[in-house]
Amino acid sequence: MAAGTQVKNVEVRDIARIERIGAHSHIRGLGLDDSLEARAVSQGMVGQQMARRAAGVVLGMIKEGKIAGRAVLLAGPPGTGKTAIAMGISKSLGKDTPFTAMAGSEIYSLEMSKTEALTQAIRKSIGIRIKEETEIIEGEVVEIQVERPATGVGAKVGKLTLKTTEMETVYDLGTKMIDALTKEKVQSGDVITIDKATGKISRIGRSFTRARDYDATGPQTRFVQCPEGELQKRKEVVHTVSIHEIDVINSRTHGFLALFSGDTGEIKPEVREQINTKIAEWREEGKAEISPGVLFIDEVHMLDIECFSFLNRALEDEMAPVVIMATNRGITNIRGTNYTSPHGIPIDLLDRMIIISTSQYRESELREILKIRCEEEDCELSDDALTVLTRIAMETSLRYAIQLITLAGLVSRRRKSNEVEIEDVKKVYSLFLDEGRSTQILSEYQDQYLYDQKPDVGGSGEPMDL
Amino acid sequence: MENPINSLKALVPVEELAEEILRDKSEVVAIDRRRNENREGIRALLKMKEEKVWMAVGPLLVRLPKEKAKTMLNEDQNVLDVEVNKIRSELKVKVNKLRDLEFEEPVPGLHLKPLTKDEFAAVGQVLGYHA
Repeated sequence: MAAGTQVKNVEVRDIARIERIGAHSHIRGLGLDDSLEARAVSQGMVGQQMARRAAGVVLGMIKEGKIAGRAVLLAGPPGTGKTAIAMGISKSLGKDTPFTAMAGSEIYSLEMSKTEALTQAIRKSIGIRIKEETEIIEGEVVEIQVERPATGVGAKVGKLTLKTTEMETVYDLGTKMIDALTKEKVQSGDVITIDKATGKISRIGRSFTRARDYDATGPQTRFVQCPEGELQKRKEVVHTVSIHEIDVINSRTHGFLALFSGDTGEIKPEVREQINTKIAEWREEGKAEISPGVLFIDEVHMLDIECFSFLNRALEDEMAPVVIMATNRGITNIRGTNYTSPHGIPIDLLDRMIIISTSQYRESELREILKIRCEEEDCELSDDALTVLTRIAMETSLRYAIQLITLAGLVSRRRKSNEVEIEDVKKVYSLFLDEGRSTQILSEYQDQYLYDQKPDVGGSGEPMDL
Repeated sequence: MENPINSLKALVPVEELAEEILRDKSEVVAIDRRRNENREGIRALLKMKEEKVWMAVGPLLVRLPKEKAKTMLNEDQNVLDVEVNKIRSELKVKVNKLRDLEFEEPVPGLHLKPLTKDEFAAVGQVLGYHA
């Protein structure tokens, strides 16, 4: 609470910098060693060794581009780390491979059809690599000499001396370049680049060796090393862009603004067709490479039969990403039909998938997870409190226990203690109900609530006493 | 890697290739230096009024007609341009080979052909460039 009042006094700009702590913010990878063997506790991952190993193999195949167009299903009871494994995969893939995460229910939107939403998600997960090549002259300005005609009008001439750590040379300047240099306020000691094709000058910063030239410098002055090597460089940058981004830009006449307005709406199939043809052409010419990424669909049982059959077809496309799905359902109805099927997924789609299952955590693993979450949420827990919390996690659910961490942390801070003790955990346990106790209260006092239907579900058990 | 002979066997090709890459890099620098000197020379010749000029060809100082000096420098410039491009494309192959020797994955997209200016302008908007 002290933190709450503090925040109000700070500028708005600073508030944005406070990071939210997500449920899986502690995951940094899959926690595997070089031989793909899962370490017990590593990179924020605990337990689920079999599932993590399997995910590691999948990851290796994704990296080599071997299982594009196939699907992986993560199946297991709630709170057993399915989303965590998917996050781990995404973290280990690195920036170069696109990773799109969506929830199954996201496709039900009024703005676009279900298949459009799925298509967009699929195309967001396919990246193409392209190369940008520019010839630039990069160096530190040693000296600029400009001769202005005495009359004030007419052509200006000048000389520009540039150097790197290896060489130094003089360029003769014409009026245009002199104007460009004056416009950029280039002076000796600046490190600049000149694009050879367009002649565009950009200032990179000031050289470190000139850092003592002035006593007072603006805060925006950036100091850089004097460039090394040759003056005339070839700069090659490889970019990865998702096909969806290209779709968006080309489907709107007003160009890149569409990217920021958020609402992209539906994209015409003709536009996609054209883009596919262009990309195929570039691939043929060796100008582009496809880098199939990963599409993660959480709560996949929320998709209906139409989506499943669409996915079935989409997976056969030659530019399909790897689709990872997660579900916590057992044998249940396929949405939109009366048929039941394992995981609520049609058998024909299930047949295409490799299935990784997660199992319930053991007590020692729960303890480790809670410990990691405590660190992530900046709460110090005493050993006893951790034991109690672990028991709560065993009896109720892991999610509930994790939620109690921050709450207990706040309670302990109220009594000006840095460490959470058993009493704090007890207090929040009595203040905030878990699902089992809440159901029990409902069944006890149901006649006092409005519109009660008197269901025949009972409480899942006695509240544990602490 | 307990056996020193075996470690040497693994290390020698890596070191050789790495050395070669460093050599190529300094070669590019040397060529660029000469290219800039030539360019300065060509500019200087353009401004000169004399019909015959003194030029240093290696250790010799030679007096020759201005036009001839100019063509010589221009020819040299072309040769250097070709040379630099050749070294640069060979460097890419060598870098990937070195990464392979060090059990690292090749640099993604290293062997792609660059997009033309127009093509890049079309995609560049995605990356935040203005068309």
